[in-house]
Amino acid sequence: MTAESYATAAGLIERSAAAYVSGVPERPADDGFFGPASVTWKMSADLGGPVAGLRSLMMQALHPLAMAGVDQHSTWRQDPVGRLAAISAYLATISFAERAAAEQAAARVRRIHTHVRGVDEITGRPYEASDPALLLWIHAALVESALAVRGLFGTPVSPQDADRYVAEMVVAAELVGVPAGLAPSSAAELDAYLASVRPELRCTPAARESMAYLLDPPGLDEDVAEIWQDIRYGAVVALPDWAREMYGYDAPPLTPGRREEIRQVLGVLDALYLGEPGVLEARQRIAARMRAAARPA
Amino acid sequence: MKRPRVARASTAGGARAGGLSGARVTALAGAATAGAAAGVAAVALLRRRAGPLGQPNLRVSRGLAALGLVARGGARYASSAPRLFAAAGEHRQQLRHDLALQTAEDVAATLGTMKGVLMKLGQMASYVDNGLSPSVRRTLSRLQDSVPPMSPELAAQVVEAELGRPPERAFARWDPEPIAAASIGQVHRAITHDGRAVAVKVQYPGIAETIAADLGNVALLRRMLRVTAPSQDVDALLAELRERVLEELDYRREADNQRFFAAYYAGHPTITVPAIVDELSTRRVVTSELADGARFAELASWPQAERDLAAETIYRFVFRSLYELRAFNGDPHPGNYLFHGGGKVTFLDFGLVRHFTPSELQPLANMARYVCVERDPEAFRRNLEQAGFLRPGAPLSTQQVIDYMAVFYDTVRESRPLTMTGDYSSAVVRRFFDVRNPVTAYARIPRSYVILQRINLGLFGLLGELTATANWRAIAEEIWPFVLGPPSTPIGEAETASWVPQARRKAPPPLALD
Repeated sequence: MTAESYATAAGLIERSAAAYVSGVPERPADDGFFGPASVTWKMSADLGGPVAGLRSLMMQALHPLAMAGVDQHSTWRQDPVGRLAAISAYLATISFAERAAAEQAAARVRRIHTHVRGVDEITGRPYEASDPALLLWIHAALVESALAVRGLFGTPVSPQDADRYVAEMVVAAELVGVPAGLAPSSAAELDAYLASVRPELRCTPAARESMAYLLDPPGLDEDVAEIWQDIRYGAVVALPDWAREMYGYDAPPLTPGRREEIRQVLGVLDALYLGEPGVLEARQRIAARMRAAARPA
Repeated sequence: MKRPRVARASTAGGARAGGLSGARVTALAGAATAGAAAGVAAVALLRRRAGPLGQPNLRVSRGLAALGLVARGGARYASSAPRLFAAAGEHRQQLRHDLALQTAEDVAATLGTMKGVLMKLGQMASYVDNGLSPSVRRTLSRLQDSVPPMSPELAAQVVEAELGRPPERAFARWDPEPIAAASIGQVHRAITHDGRAVAVKVQYPGIAETIAADLGNVALLRRMLRVTAPSQDVDALLAELRERVLEELDYRREADNQRFFAAYYAGHPTITVPAIVDELSTRRVVTSELADGARFAELASWPQAERDLAAETIYRFVFRSLYELRAFNGDPHPGNYLFHGGGKVTFLDFGLVRHFTPSELQPLANMARYVCVERDPEAFRRNLEQAGFLRPGAPLSTQQVIDYMAVFYDTVRESRPLTMTGDYSSAVVRRFFDVRNPVTAYARIPRSYVILQRINLGLFGLLGELTATANWRAIAEEIWPFVLGPPSTPIGEAETASWVPQARRKAPPPLALD
């Protein structure tokens, strides 16, 4: 099952940027599911996005059934950059697009999920991508990663904002099919949920191999490849200890100096991203709406 | 009270008006130029690489990957560079008031974590190297566009912190809406309590600290600096760029420089430098008298005779400053001039000034002297080597060296009227990036002269844009300390009559003649 090799990661920045731009509307009819005053919008502006994304994939891959679904059904090996770009486009759409567009994107994902089913060869357990338990895991790993990385490399979020963020994100879980009432709605609930799933998690060969690829993607554009080493370190050091141990990765402790270096690398990456067509305009559309929302009436 | 009439704020550091386009002359005229020396190391902010289909792909290559010039890679852009060259720093910025930064945190998010540094280095690099690819220029200009103005409240907080009083009290009248963006600040109009109309440049809060801290990550900056020329000393280049950027962060230095130039040119018939208002200038706020005049874009529509006069004044300003003040204002872009007709020009923005020691300047003077006046090839080569432009003992004949360098002195080789053109520019640029020339491998640009490349890429580009005609050699002779020729134009006559004698008393000691 893991015989094929992966395609190269060339064009990662360009395609992710284009995907992001496509998700940010020019003249939205409504504020979507979050809106300019939301913590979600504030969180998405954080520099740590690439590290959070990588960490979140590493967490998600530790669920054997989630990993099996990706491994057996996704075009991830043939077109890893395309898959990552699709995720970027989806997240931007859910976060910033008007409600109709977000619902449409979510419906598409739910439709695709109905075809993703099979049996995990490692555990022998059957799986379905539309299984609420799997969807919830993917959701929770993403939300928790955003908070963890922002705490480490971005501007830390207040406990109140962390709770608000988790609560706001419930709607994202429900959009992909998590039944109402199931997704955690506070930071404490999120932690409790993650602890409850721990016994099911393990690092399967597919997870190990996919993540090894992600941490050192071949064919990455030369300049990005250089800074990728720091992005990778950031993601690994931001993992919970138990997750890092499952993978068998080692990360030297994060010193204040090293933390600053990672932030600087993230800043460079962000500047490069900003140079891609349409990214600045998309960010300005978002920033203008956020500033307007913040101004006293 | 009447609102001050403003054409252009005199301290509007980064406000970019106009913009060079089209062909430009990049001549190393005169003695000066250093930069010319080498077909080397420049700095390119990003490189262009072939895509999977062999099609050139705008690849981010990101990073300042650039600063890597390029003898090798640069050759690819050389032919199109003069036409395409429009430094990111010249990009016209629209002030997006709807995006105004409200807090110091907003500033940090916009300019912190390397972005401010990349912007500043990029601005400088764009003048130091015109091997910039279109993708590089795009990234840099995007970065500049990404910086919105401060909200009136935030700007007022900075003014109050710096001057001890809110702007409405520090000034008799204060315009809360900025009139121009500067690279790390913005410009407001105001009227002082004694009635002077002024331009007040206000720095973004916290930006100096974050840029200074980010400049400390030499490893990252170095990684982004790609130098392919074997003899370029990356650390030296980086050290020079870092030092200049650090200097720009302290507006007191800019004020000092502006006072220095203003004092020297006081009484000059065609050169004006606005006065600094000392008591309203600090580390993060600099107040200078407001100047009025036509912008570069307007000058383009004036009769050629007017354009020639304006070009002559700019030329005199650059070379008198270099030879007599041993100082070079490293920001010769079109937004930093105001034109008044009759060759009268106001010079703005002294944020990036390089001062030279006599021993740094001497070889430059000698190079011009031995190649243009004395015609002594061996002495020329000796000075080239002494300045560090050419590796001593390079296995090259002196004739090869002269042939290589000659193009840089074409505008001052003979005493005759000469028009700056785009063709000439192309020739110089081609030479600059000519990797096939055997001399290139032994040439380099020493740290002290990095900034002088702006003469090639900025000043002469500007003169080419004006298609200016003059007897540049005769003007250079008036200024060259080893000639000190008689006035050769009406402006020269006026200088001699009313300004030169007093200027001589104010200038640092003249260069020794060997």
